[in-house]
Amino acid sequence: MTTATTTTATQRPPLWRDVRILRIVFQAVAVAAVVAFGLWLWNNLQTNAETTNIPLGFDYLDQPADLTVPGNSFNQSQSVRDAIMVGLGNTVRVAIAGIVLATVLGTLIGIARLSTNWLLANLARAYVELFRNIPLLIIVVFSYSAIFLRLPSLDSAQSYAGVLLPSIRGIGVVWFTTDEKGGAIGAVAIVALVAMVAAVRWRRSVQDRTGAPSHGGLYGVGALLVVFVAGLAVLGFPLGFTTPELDGRRIVGGITMLPEYAALLFALVVYTASHIAEIVRGSIQAVPKGQNEAASALALSVSQRMRLIVLPQAMRIAVPALGNQYLNLTKNSSLAVAISFFELTKITQVSIANRAPAVPSYTLLLVIYLALSLILSLIVNLANRRLALVER
Amino acid sequence: MTDRRTVRWLGAIAVLAVVMAACSGDDDDSSSGTTDPDGDTEITLAQEGSRLEAIREEGVLKCGTRDALPGFAVLEGSDHVGFDADFCRVIAAAILGDAEAVEFVDLETEARFTALQSGEIDVLVRNTTFTAGRDGGEGATFVQPNFYDGQGMMVNADSEFESIEDMSSTSICVAAGTTTEGNVASEFERLGLDLIEVLSFSDTAQLQDAFIAGRCDGWSSDTSQLTGFRSEFPDGPDALRILPDVFSKEPLAPAVRDGDTDLAQAVNWAIYATIQAEEFGIDSSNIGDFAGSEDPNIRKFLGDDIEEGGTFDPGLDLPSDFNLQVITQVGNYAEIFEEHLAPLGLDRGENTLWSDGGLLYAPPYR
Repeated sequence: MTTATTTTATQRPPLWRDVRILRIVFQAVAVAAVVAFGLWLWNNLQTNAETTNIPLGFDYLDQPADLTVPGNSFNQSQSVRDAIMVGLGNTVRVAIAGIVLATVLGTLIGIARLSTNWLLANLARAYVELFRNIPLLIIVVFSYSAIFLRLPSLDSAQSYAGVLLPSIRGIGVVWFTTDEKGGAIGAVAIVALVAMVAAVRWRRSVQDRTGAPSHGGLYGVGALLVVFVAGLAVLGFPLGFTTPELDGRRIVGGITMLPEYAALLFALVVYTASHIAEIVRGSIQAVPKGQNEAASALALSVSQRMRLIVLPQAMRIAVPALGNQYLNLTKNSSLAVAISFFELTKITQVSIANRAPAVPSYTLLLVIYLALSLILSLIVNLANRRLALVER
Repeated sequence: MTDRRTVRWLGAIAVLAVVMAACSGDDDDSSSGTTDPDGDTEITLAQEGSRLEAIREEGVLKCGTRDALPGFAVLEGSDHVGFDADFCRVIAAAILGDAEAVEFVDLETEARFTALQSGEIDVLVRNTTFTAGRDGGEGATFVQPNFYDGQGMMVNADSEFESIEDMSSTSICVAAGTTTEGNVASEFERLGLDLIEVLSFSDTAQLQDAFIAGRCDGWSSDTSQLTGFRSEFPDGPDALRILPDVFSKEPLAPAVRDGDTDLAQAVNWAIYATIQAEEFGIDSSNIGDFAGSEDPNIRKFLGDDIEEGGTFDPGLDLPSDFNLQVITQVGNYAEIFEEHLAPLGLDRGENTLWSDGGLLYAPPYR
């Protein structure tokens, strides 16, 4: 009897009661259900597409796009594939500029929100409450119709010292010319950047060894400028400037920003900055008070306390939330369809109007946005991993 | 530890693979076995007796149109008024015998074909250009055009442009989601002109706003639409000028779902009714005088008894008096045109009867 009980105890239970097996079975069933549902949807789509004669293939990508893109040399006989690439370029352009500007503006406003200056703190608060509570689409349309469509018309457009030429047909800004030595200048710029990093590291190691103030920023910028200017001198200063000028109805010289691009960028930055400001404020307040007090006890100045003690810890808290805002900004750029800025979504819509089949076009759009978002998340996650506390 | 984890992962992946294989195998089996009736029902759902049957059962025609195109379809109160809206009524009068049995569905330009494919609407009468690419690629079948249009260019009245050829180095605004965008670029290329940019707006109010602000030099669209927008321009129609050039063929035609020949025939003959009536000189006010006419063609057309007794039935699956219903309840082509398009300042142009040198030609009703 006793032997019998011991054997049953060591014996595995029957298959249908074995937790290890059941676990696998349940998961397999769940996976099978999901896969079956997906296949059913796909099958449904195909059957319906067949009965209604809607093409599902991607052959249309090689057809001529029959569209032109403002501010781009894109030719209407180029393929839909090229048009989508141009659109992707425009999306990335507005997203990168938007992320940088929104971060800077949002951080400043977030810090201002905590200022002891009543006026500054409340102005920042008013800003946040205003823009956070308006739908972005309305900001986009308002920014276009009320601000950038009110730029000077062609007749009254004038150049400000050759630096800035705002007009409704485009905002011209002075820019460099590189006399076909663009590559060499790029190389010099990279060397200068390396020099800057090296200088900052060197100063930091000096500080670690001797305790002398590092002045890393000062040395870094100095190294950057010295190396860059020296490099240009070696190349014989190939750098020139072109100033924007009005030639008929076209702005030549400089670089020209389309009003649609400017309006979208402005709206995205203003809106996203209001969210980033709240993240920055929250993150700063989340740093334990004792940190600030301890820094104060060490006789660090207000700016040193912020720069060296509080902000580095606040960043750690802010990064994941900031990442979300960056993703939102990138995806929100699709609101450009309202104001005729030819980014990814707009170009997809126009090509659909010109015969490209809707289902594959939107599928492709979806996949591209997904890829963009995943790449962005990856970057944010890498930054997060670098900043995260290493606990031992 | 790591070994066991790898094994576990490999196991999970293997299970997944097996499940997927089994699943797709399963699916294949069932699709050859059980989905056959299933697939049939789906096909019959889409094609069964065509939408014509469904329209009669529901007693209402779902007509895709728009709400803010002056002259063609404008929402006034709860009522759609305009040329296209009246053609929706023509089709409803022909199929259902009741011109008011129409459910108007306002569609964005980008969504119009999808709405047709999905069955959200039965027929699309929304100022849509009939092109080969759309006929073939959009899952739509176009029928008899109800309006022959062409793309033109509108400029500020005080601008220096007298024709398109003067418009080198200009920016052009167009409405998004139309064939207009490509046409502008093609026309400029054909004339060897430099085109700075084509901006396209989904919202015509936004387009007008940009045009007034001076964002672009020309506003290009179908001439009929330009005439409509010009008539309602805030600064008055005289502030704008439509250039004489017409640089594309834009036959605006209703469309039904691809493969639905029964409904296509019904829509075709409803449109022909308005044209044929004008040719006979029959309109909604004098149609009473034609009852019991001596002309056998008119007797057939109006569904009167013909000599052998009984009425003429061409087998279109429409009521025998559908022509009569169309004309009494809505009117003939000339009436519809005069009511909605003439006030905008549009003249008949190509849209006159073939006997007057126009393009309107209805096949004989016999």
